[in-house]
Amino acid sequence: MNLLLRTGINAVLPIGILVLLGSAILAFAEPYQVRVAYAFFMNLVIAIGLQVFMGNTGVVSFGHVSFMGISAYAVSLLTIPLALKKTLIPKAPFELATVHVGIVPAIVLALLFTALVAWLSGMVLKRVGGAAAEILTLALLVISFVVFNAWIDLTRGPRSLYGIPVVSSLPWAMAAAAVAIFVAKLFRDSDGGLQLRASSENLLAARAMGVPVESLRLRAWVISAVLVGVGGILHATYLGTIGPNSYYFTQTFLIMAMVILGGMRSVSGTIVGTALISVGSEAARSLENGPVIFGSKLPEMFGLTGFFLGTVIVLCMTLRRDGILGDDEFEDIVRQRRMRKTEAAAAAGVAAS
Amino acid sequence: MEYLIQQVVNALSVGSEYALLALGLAIVFSIIGLVNFAHGELITVAGYSIFFAAAIYLPSPWLALPIAVLGAMLAAILFERVAFRAIRNASTNTGILTAFGVSIVVQNAFVIFVATRPKPVATPEWLSSMLEVGTLQLPVLQIVETLVTVVAILALAVLLRRTTIGLAMRAAAKDFIAVRLMGIKANRVILAAFAISGFLAGLAAVFIISRRGAIDPFMGSVPVLKAFVACVLGGLGSLQGAVVGGIALGVLEVLLQAFLPREVTMFRDAIVFAAVAIVLVKFPEGLLGRKHELGDKEA
Repeated sequence: MNLLLRTGINAVLPIGILVLLGSAILAFAEPYQVRVAYAFFMNLVIAIGLQVFMGNTGVVSFGHVSFMGISAYAVSLLTIPLALKKTLIPKAPFELATVHVGIVPAIVLALLFTALVAWLSGMVLKRVGGAAAEILTLALLVISFVVFNAWIDLTRGPRSLYGIPVVSSLPWAMAAAAVAIFVAKLFRDSDGGLQLRASSENLLAARAMGVPVESLRLRAWVISAVLVGVGGILHATYLGTIGPNSYYFTQTFLIMAMVILGGMRSVSGTIVGTALISVGSEAARSLENGPVIFGSKLPEMFGLTGFFLGTVIVLCMTLRRDGILGDDEFEDIVRQRRMRKTEAAAAAGVAAS
Repeated sequence: MEYLIQQVVNALSVGSEYALLALGLAIVFSIIGLVNFAHGELITVAGYSIFFAAAIYLPSPWLALPIAVLGAMLAAILFERVAFRAIRNASTNTGILTAFGVSIVVQNAFVIFVATRPKPVATPEWLSSMLEVGTLQLPVLQIVETLVTVVAILALAVLLRRTTIGLAMRAAAKDFIAVRLMGIKANRVILAAFAISGFLAGLAAVFIISRRGAIDPFMGSVPVLKAFVACVLGGLGSLQGAVVGGIALGVLEVLLQAFLPREVTMFRDAIVFAAVAIVLVKFPEGLLGRKHELGDKEA
């Protein structure tokens, strides 16, 4: 069967459920809940982007959130109105203070730029594996954070950049999530994806079979970086204001918890993980502010969200290392259940005769 | 000339701080292959134990050192027992993620139960005074820090060479199975490694805290990143490498700080991490690291 068609069929179930969920929220929910749903879909795009790299190569990446920052800053610098730019960043390098483009070309340019940075960093990263690669991704995160903070002429540093046109809304985030799911599944099931996953199980055996591990790693890195970049654009064009702290360890661990809880080797697992963590951290956040339950005011407990995330990561790693779904996609689970049912029926038929 | 000597002393003290922390990371990594990002939280725990001890009934800042060391050692042993024992045979990935998880949990536990805002902590006053040698003015803190680090490293070397547990730890870094066949309990070796890493972190914590004068829940995350860089520079898991890497990093940072124009020094950490990236690509095992055959891990 054609790969595109098969991926399309397999992606119908998760995308369908998510679109139904999103439409229901859009139709019935309060603005606050719409915001929560938007954050969910945005984080889903980023988590799936991270899954494309982590799940297929088996290398943990701490650096992907920097691509979120790079594309967010790129799109902001291109779309903030000129008048505002003159007061915010009058000394911007590369004549950026005088450049203004429409939102669509800005998004395209931002994604291209993100892909370029990803390709350049990937050229370095593809040469090492294991712990060294993980440290390189960590270095990427720190370097980008320092640059966002210190290049004040360009980014205003920690004082954050505002005035980005707010053009995104929940349907856009839903569409982006659907595309991300499709792309991730397509890559996972493609020849390259399969070879890459094989190389993460046994590097020597995969190389011996002629798998071009380096170039496949680079491909996975760039694809995942662009998907995470889409998440960054969703972030910037919804909030209208961005700062360096949104693209550092807090966001990294949020996404990391989502990916590993559901099972980093499966796209479906990432969807499940993102849903669970979103619900959990939203609950933790409302507990943080000391809500009133059954008439008694609970104490304020700041830090509960982080505590929850850390606990999930530790418990997941000690109790269920492969995540909830492990290697399985939704379609695998459906198929296994069906097979078990036919087997049971066959066994029953044998017993009856 | 005076400026130069001051900078050298400064570089040595910063380097010793990194070396102390990096040694703790390296000793744990060499034995169980865990990149312990929760190491920074040992500093935080040490800081808060000084704070609580001072708040309750031990007001003398002289007690800061033993309390900090004890607190950090207990915390290291606790982390091992609660989290790291369960993942002992897992991959490096699992280890890194678990350690990050532990670190987030501890940080936020302090946020929940104490406060986000920094709390002042007193350390002995003479630590923050100046030592005058001729026309030179040198901070006592920096000199004491360098001396203590030298003594600690020497003591560690004696421990590793002269005692049974030290021998077992050195052997465990090469072949854990052989160590267990010799009748040494795995738990004891690993416990000793964590206790030593806690001890060294506690020492470093006293100096870090007297330099900052205050503690907060996130104070451990920057030092541990630096220590980690030092470890990588020297070669993960090599103890000599950790010391050399720590001092090299300290010297590099002080040099960048002292001799670069102000606009560039803001990018100091980016430059340091870029340097680490280059070293890693050129020498994936670090400057002093050993080359492992890939096949070893599959056995």
